[in-house]
Amino acid sequence: MIGLQRARRDSLLTHLDFRSKLLMIAVISLVAFVWESPVALAAFALATVIASLMTGIEAAYIGRIVRLMMPFYALLLITHGFWNTQQVKILTGRETLTPLFTFPSHWPLVGGGGMSVEGLAYGWAVIFKTIVLMLTLPLVIFTTDVNQMMVGLVRIGVPYRLVFILSSTLRFFPLLFGEAQAIIEAQRLRGLEPGQMGPLQRARVYARIAIPLILGAMVKSQQLEIVLQARAFTGSGERTYLHESRVKMIDWAVILLCLALFIAAMVAYFRAGVGRFAWLIFPPSPTPVSHR
Amino acid sequence: MEQPELLVRFEEVSYIYPHSTRPALRNISLEIRRGEFIGLIGATGAGKTTLCLTLNGIIPQFYGGRFFGRLRVAGMDTLEHPTRQLARHVGMVFQDPESQLVANSVEDEIAFALENLQVPRDEMRARISHVLQAVRLDGYERKHPHELSGGQKQRLAIAAALAMRPTLLVLDEPTSQLDPVGEQEVFSVVGELNRQLGMTVLMAGHAAERLAEYATRIILLSAGELVAVGTPDEIYSQIELLERHHLRPPQIASTFYLIGRAGRPVDRLPVCMRDGLQALDALCGQCELSPSPVTADYTTAEGPAVISVRGLKYTYPDGTQALSGVSLEIREGEYVLIIGQNGAGKTTLIKHFLRLLEPAEGEVLIGGVDTRKFTVGELARRVGYVGQNPDHQIFSATVKDEVSFALRHLGYPAAEIRARTQASLEAVGLLGVEDVHPLALTRGERARVVLAAVLALQPEVIVLDEPTTGQDYQGAKSILDITRELHREGKTVIVVTHHLYMMPGYARRVLVMGRGTLLLDAPIRQAYHQVNVLASTFLEPPQAVLLAREIGKRIGGELPLLTPEEVAACFIGVNAYDRAAESQT
Repeated sequence: MIGLQRARRDSLLTHLDFRSKLLMIAVISLVAFVWESPVALAAFALATVIASLMTGIEAAYIGRIVRLMMPFYALLLITHGFWNTQQVKILTGRETLTPLFTFPSHWPLVGGGGMSVEGLAYGWAVIFKTIVLMLTLPLVIFTTDVNQMMVGLVRIGVPYRLVFILSSTLRFFPLLFGEAQAIIEAQRLRGLEPGQMGPLQRARVYARIAIPLILGAMVKSQQLEIVLQARAFTGSGERTYLHESRVKMIDWAVILLCLALFIAAMVAYFRAGVGRFAWLIFPPSPTPVSHR
Repeated sequence: MEQPELLVRFEEVSYIYPHSTRPALRNISLEIRRGEFIGLIGATGAGKTTLCLTLNGIIPQFYGGRFFGRLRVAGMDTLEHPTRQLARHVGMVFQDPESQLVANSVEDEIAFALENLQVPRDEMRARISHVLQAVRLDGYERKHPHELSGGQKQRLAIAAALAMRPTLLVLDEPTSQLDPVGEQEVFSVVGELNRQLGMTVLMAGHAAERLAEYATRIILLSAGELVAVGTPDEIYSQIELLERHHLRPPQIASTFYLIGRAGRPVDRLPVCMRDGLQALDALCGQCELSPSPVTADYTTAEGPAVISVRGLKYTYPDGTQALSGVSLEIREGEYVLIIGQNGAGKTTLIKHFLRLLEPAEGEVLIGGVDTRKFTVGELARRVGYVGQNPDHQIFSATVKDEVSFALRHLGYPAAEIRARTQASLEAVGLLGVEDVHPLALTRGERARVVLAAVLALQPEVIVLDEPTTGQDYQGAKSILDITRELHREGKTVIVVTHHLYMMPGYARRVLVMGRGTLLLDAPIRQAYHQVNVLASTFLEPPQAVLLAREIGKRIGGELPLLTPEEVAACFIGVNAYDRAAESQT
């Protein structure tokens, strides 16, 4: 494992300045945040997935994120499907919701209750929203060289000391991860079988990783500090940079496009209801069915 | 002749670290002139690193503590000028190749210091290109430092230091964690910088043979005191002085010292191979050679196979073929040495003994049973493994807890835990430090704590991966002495090391690996003399072996000798194999 994952392909994104990509993150996040429509957000999420694949982010990586989020997604669908009634009633302008199924009334606690189509649709909308937000960041980070990222952050006014801490963390996290693996391996080589232990005993064994790991990190950070001193590092922003951060024509084009799309999305949302929850799928004349 | 300009002047420098009462440096007075290559030698704890860190003011400016005397570098007092300014004049390279690289690409690594010094971009580019050529890393600009070998990483650290155009290059044990190829790479680059560009170099280290060849002056430190200063000839020929300070002289010097001590005519002790060959010619002309008859002191072990490897192939997920069809058997009670350059497949092979890796093809049997039928934990109770870095293998707050760690988790009765812990600590010579924190011990002692923890499980086989790396001579020797004891008690011992000179007297059989194959499987006396096979995996035999081969050429026969004692015996008339047997007892 060497540092951050990088996109495998050269694409438009890899040639953009980090600052224009930061604006892109901001616009995408704002639009995803404002929109509630499951249809619009599904299309948005699909577009983000396609863009990620096109820039060379591995499908396995996207799959890993989705798998990791699965329990959270299930929770979203259940909570919104069963209990999000007031909010979706307001968003759809309906007095009653469309039941997907209802529990028999004699069941204790949940009897008579049920899942609504609108609540479930809202749950999906939130899931698509998280997919957009979670894929946008890697889309930008993985297509940007760490050095370009550092210079870009300094150029937008982030203090160099903070930027250096960020880049050092990115560099040392994989090293620490490697050390943790080595320590776990060393424990197994002392005859321990964490796989065959109870959860409590296993937790106790794994907790011991912290001792050598923290001590190792402290030793390493002291060594790093000495190395930095020897390389005339002071943390001061008064320094030159090997890498340039230049906003090119293509960056200006992307910046303008992002701003235009943002304005268009907001106008369409507030004026024409495009992206609102009920857009396309919940017309304002539902069949009234009682639902508790 | 006019002396070169004075670059460094220590005037009665003493230093005490914070929270310490013992001086790490005591009354050091020393001058270093431009163009010198200084070798700084001393056992662990002698003060080498401390002295290096005073040169750019990190001591005392960063560490604090109490600093006495005066130190001037390039005309600047190290107390009056900040490290940032001194760094322009003093480039530093540290021991650990990993922890001194701070950037994400080779060119950024070099640029980092230049950016701090506010060097303009165009000049930065020019300097990067220049220093990468100087350390023979041109073409690697965009590589991530982690993709480089150990030797390349150290050369990159040297390039990063050189880019600041220092007048003095300080290297603190830069080769102690490298394989022989890496060591050679570093010495040849630094040697070129010194000889061709006149760069002043101060290198701390234990590589006696190399320092004897490259250094113009040697400084011997002991317990913070400057014990001796002189040319390599002057210092490395004082064998008793070196031994008194727990240092290892070059084997060539040891050999002629022994010959001279026996009354044979040796005018001047040679300290490098070139002078050694001349001295050999002179000696051969003056006294008769009486090499002992060659008798084998190693017989193939007869016991049952404890480890059997059959047609083992393994390819890493990135496509690197690490093992391509290795077959071998290790029998009960053997002491086996595995050697080969980095990437030869040594560690990959060992990991298969422990089922940390599973064969892509072929099989590995422990006691006749396929390793795939054991869990890693079960195998660990049969094959004890001591890794290179003891600090990755220490988890507990006291030595006693560390040694009994596995026993407690495996549910052994308290009485047995106590007995086994005591026995293991006794075996590694650590009785008396049971309640000490392992990290309060020296690196050599920490390695012995890990060995004791492994021994507590009473494995039949003990594997030590690079036990001598990062240790000084005494530390390495004390660990190997323990392995010899364990071998005598009937354990099967497998050692992987690059330090070939350490192993005669310990290992009996050698497996030479190269590019994922077993190049040679032979008794140590044969293996060490297969110079071409060793060279094919970038290894060089110890100087005593090279000297024995030279003697062999002169008498028209082969002398499978391994140590300075055995080579010296050719001139003294003592049976070399008796000496070898003596050294093994």
